[in-house]
Amino acid sequence: MDASYFKEQLQAKEDMLAQTTRFLVQTQHSLEEKNKELLLANNEIFDSISFASRIQNSLLPDIDILKIFFKDASFKVMQQIGIGGDTVFIKNTNNGVVFGLLDSTGHGIPAALLSISGTLLLKELMTSMEIDNPQTLFNLLNYQLHKTFNNSRSSIAHKEGVFFSFSSTQNKLIYSSAKGKALLLRPTGEIEELANTKKSLGDDANTEFELFEMKVMSGDKLIMYSDGLTDQFGGSNNKKFSRDRLKKILSKSPRENATEMVKKIEKEFIIWKSTNAQTDDVSFMIIEF
Amino acid sequence: MTTLSFNNYDFTLENKGPFSSLYFNKELKMAICFADEEYIPIDNFKEMFLHISVLIETYEIKHLVFDKQKLRTFHQPSMEWYFAVWKPAIKNKGLVNHYKILPKLDWFEKAVEAGKYEIFQKFSKEILTGIRITYINSVEEAIECVI
Repeated sequence: MDASYFKEQLQAKEDMLAQTTRFLVQTQHSLEEKNKELLLANNEIFDSISFASRIQNSLLPDIDILKIFFKDASFKVMQQIGIGGDTVFIKNTNNGVVFGLLDSTGHGIPAALLSISGTLLLKELMTSMEIDNPQTLFNLLNYQLHKTFNNSRSSIAHKEGVFFSFSSTQNKLIYSSAKGKALLLRPTGEIEELANTKKSLGDDANTEFELFEMKVMSGDKLIMYSDGLTDQFGGSNNKKFSRDRLKKILSKSPRENATEMVKKIEKEFIIWKSTNAQTDDVSFMIIEF
Repeated sequence: MTTLSFNNYDFTLENKGPFSSLYFNKELKMAICFADEEYIPIDNFKEMFLHISVLIETYEIKHLVFDKQKLRTFHQPSMEWYFAVWKPAIKNKGLVNHYKILPKLDWFEKAVEAGKYEIFQKFSKEILTGIRITYINSVEEAIECVI
């Protein structure tokens, strides 16, 4: 091969280099543009979720209602993305108070919509029909959820949770639970798991939720929580937070007041989660009798 | 060497140029073109493809493999000629698949991508349609696709 071949090859190489550089610069420019668009879209979504979060948080009940009836009460709701499907419910009745914790299917925007619609429906049942029996409330909510969202074509809305009704005149605490997670902590540190109906709200229109009655004594604490708390991955071996860990935290200082206890669980949860992403919406509520 | 063997199929040498060589197998209706140097000047490139055209018409070649593993220079004018002149001319002559084997070099692949992008900008999208172009890793892989 003569010198002209190498000269031509060299020229071709230079052309190739120039063309590839041009292409890479163009690609980089195009990526920068797309990045700007994504950033804008991301900011819009973030702003929208922040505002939605404020709306959903403003719908959370006033804890002071419970403090009228009980020694202390406190709750914490930590939605996975600022909005979500976990909610607590507190509403005073003619002779007491109804309170509980509900966890809607999934998380994020769809779960938030289900959560809000469920809360509004419960308020409607309680105010217009004056229902304060948790069993009746759950049976009606179950029927309504099933009828509205879950049919032969789709099944999109389910809730788990537990609802209590306290009558101050009878000093009686009754509850219904749809796979709800609740514990009773005695001042001695002993813990009882509360029974529940092993069905979700909205699954089957014909489900009859059971009504349970509880005997509580002064100093007892009632703890309600969503599975987002115990299912969170974290710790040194990236394991679930677990119900056992929750029980250990509770039984360590059983005489601590509800407000302090809620703060402590929140702190332990944050330490456990560490840099891991929050896997689900998290909520918990503690009542001290 | 006048024959080469891949997967027990013998390929006969059809043309040996200074920068490339062309083999074919009648049974498989397949031709293989090897780039033998780092760079093929455009005139030799055109000559080679005109040999391929004759081969396609003579032996009803359906599958063409272009092994570019020795190439180190991507030549845009040659590629434009391939897309704008050779491909339309060979259309409807029976060639179905064009298998390409690139050097295992990221920068070369990027240069090919850049070249294709410019062709795409310069000509209509139609230019990239017609013969099915598939990037493969070896001649054997092309034969596996055909048999």
